[in-house]
Amino acid sequence: MNSFWTVVGFTVRNKMRGKAFLITTLVIAIIMCIGVNVPYIIEQFDKGGKKITNVGYIQSASEELAAGSATGDSLKVYFEQQEDASIKLVPFEDKGDTAANEDQLKQAIQDKTIKGYLDFGAMSDSGFPEMTYKSEKLMEFSQTGALQTALQTIRMTTVLSDAGLTDEQMKQLNTPINIESVQISATEDGATGRTPSEQGVNMGFIYVIIIFLFMAIMTSGQLIAAEVTAEKSSRVMEILITSVAPLKQMFGKIFGMFIVVLSQVALYVIVLYVNVTLPHNKETLINFDIDLSKIEPSLIIYALLYFFTGFFLFATLYAAVGSIVSRTEDLGQATMPMTLISLAGFYISIFSLSSPDSMLVKVTSFIPLFSPFVMLLRLGLTDVPFWEVAISIALLLVAIYVAVYISAKIYRTGVLMYGKRPSWKEIRKAMKAYKI
Amino acid sequence: MKPLVVENVVKQYADKTAVNNISFEVNEGEIYGLLGANGAGKTTTMRMVLGLIYPDGGTIKYHGRPYSNEQLSKLGYLPEERGLYPKVKVSDQILYLSQLRGMSKKDADQNLKRWLERFEVPEYYNKKVEELSKGNQQKIQFIAAVNHRPSIVILDEAFSGLDPVNVELLKSTVKELRDSGTSILFSTHRMEHVEELCRNITILHKSNTVLKGNIKELKKQYPRERVILATEGEVQGLENIAGVTGVKRQEYGYEIGIKNEAAGGEILRSAMAQTTITKFEIKEPTLNEIFIKTVGDRHE
Repeated sequence: MNSFWTVVGFTVRNKMRGKAFLITTLVIAIIMCIGVNVPYIIEQFDKGGKKITNVGYIQSASEELAAGSATGDSLKVYFEQQEDASIKLVPFEDKGDTAANEDQLKQAIQDKTIKGYLDFGAMSDSGFPEMTYKSEKLMEFSQTGALQTALQTIRMTTVLSDAGLTDEQMKQLNTPINIESVQISATEDGATGRTPSEQGVNMGFIYVIIIFLFMAIMTSGQLIAAEVTAEKSSRVMEILITSVAPLKQMFGKIFGMFIVVLSQVALYVIVLYVNVTLPHNKETLINFDIDLSKIEPSLIIYALLYFFTGFFLFATLYAAVGSIVSRTEDLGQATMPMTLISLAGFYISIFSLSSPDSMLVKVTSFIPLFSPFVMLLRLGLTDVPFWEVAISIALLLVAIYVAVYISAKIYRTGVLMYGKRPSWKEIRKAMKAYKI
Repeated sequence: MKPLVVENVVKQYADKTAVNNISFEVNEGEIYGLLGANGAGKTTTMRMVLGLIYPDGGTIKYHGRPYSNEQLSKLGYLPEERGLYPKVKVSDQILYLSQLRGMSKKDADQNLKRWLERFEVPEYYNKKVEELSKGNQQKIQFIAAVNHRPSIVILDEAFSGLDPVNVELLKSTVKELRDSGTSILFSTHRMEHVEELCRNITILHKSNTVLKGNIKELKKQYPRERVILATEGEVQGLENIAGVTGVKRQEYGYEIGIKNEAAGGEILRSAMAQTTITKFEIKEPTLNEIFIKTVGDRHE
């Protein structure tokens, strides 16, 4: 047991001291800081964006421009009545001819009294004249959108009042209809179910956990495999195997790497937590209706359970793969299947965030290499009967046991095989020769 | 109890025998030489002794007991190829390897400092292995093998890649280890090292033991067939003496091949009659000659 901890200590110390590791961790932590503050930053920009856009139009009594002018006037009134309108219409006097009017409006844009202006054309079937919004910028969809909505409302009000509806009836028509969606448990009695905001928070939590798990598996898996291969190619392995039992060595390494990854993840979580609880972010989160205390404790426990077991399963297999390869150059090729499997699990769960009850998700949530990703998704977003979770975890544990047994054998055998990548037949034959 | 006894050990790989029925024993305070050409089975034998691979037949006993994980801490191993972490500090990895073999960190640290001092390189304590020259890496490798005070040390080509000064340094260290009671299994193709260090040897050739025993006795079994003669003047007619197989002129005089030791006396008499002799020696065969003879014989 003593030498096990020596291996753990050595692995942890070496990794933590590595410049590459420190820099990567720091960079990711910084990216997270920025990421968490994005909603706040957006809000700041939004506040700036709440500035009222001035839109000009020509107010005229001449026959040619009367329809346009009337439309402009009604828009002006409409926006003035709105509580926080983003558009304000500014009337300009008619100069008598089109060119002079254009010049006048363009001048106003230059003077920054307006952002753009409406140009009215011939009367159309819609009940309003044809309109063009002219401004210096491209893609002014928010402005034209707001104008369109305004005109539609104006038209509806006009038509409805012409039809002789009472104010009461008008109000009824205008009241929006809401359907609230609540996810409930059909099996447990008295379960309160999850409100949309709870679902949202759970989804976010699951999303973060799945990404963390994927990151942990990818980085530490590769690191474990690379380290085993490096020890093999530097022949340190021959000395190590004569110093400590291979099984202890392998698990010491996996456990050491686990501590490294765990402390890395812990650091990220702390960074996230500190950032989220900063006063300005707290407000933003509340504005976005995100309340972290709504994450269910059972979900956190399941997440940790799947995180640990998933990590352990993949790490064991990566160590076995690393022990077969003798040169670092061949490592990428050898770990490819593992990488693809973890990618598959990751993508199945990420792409199924919107359909967590599909058959694919149900099936893969029992398959050991996928279940850490997929069952977590089901747990977070749907109501999973306990026996299904139990079976999934049991299968995962069985898979870990088998993986440990096979990996330990491969490891003991593989670390002393040099030269070309051994064939499966050779590995199988050699594996029989070694007791663990 | 002898520290290391190897009995009738056989190792079979898929289609060829790597080691065929090798037996030897190493006493306390003895350096045992394992000789052989490349691919003769030396490294395979050593790996079996280390428990890296299992023999297909025969037994290996350590202080009378079979291989087990407890034996590991008694073994020290210097592999032929470099076996260190290139990017880890010398102190870190030596302490790590010593601790793995059950030494306390403090003890290991003191011992490491003593060894670095002994090799006159205390400044390497905080250096990474990849920063050191090949010869100095070999010193560190040696320390890695012996720092935990093993009772059985296995040195595979310990002196390869070292300059003469360092070879002497390492050789004297190996002798010190021997004198302190450590059993050493030593492999090399450099015969002069074996002659200087080892009492008993085994010569392997193509997986088989071809010669085994005490060096002095082995040498006695081989006839003395060479005479070194240094004289002040010329010596004529050496070729005609009965029993002389050949005469080579050297800078110092003559090197004469003889069939039996009696011919030596004839040569001496003949030379004395002609000129002053500064040196006369009937040479015993060198291990090199024995090696080439035994291994070469089997080439046909």
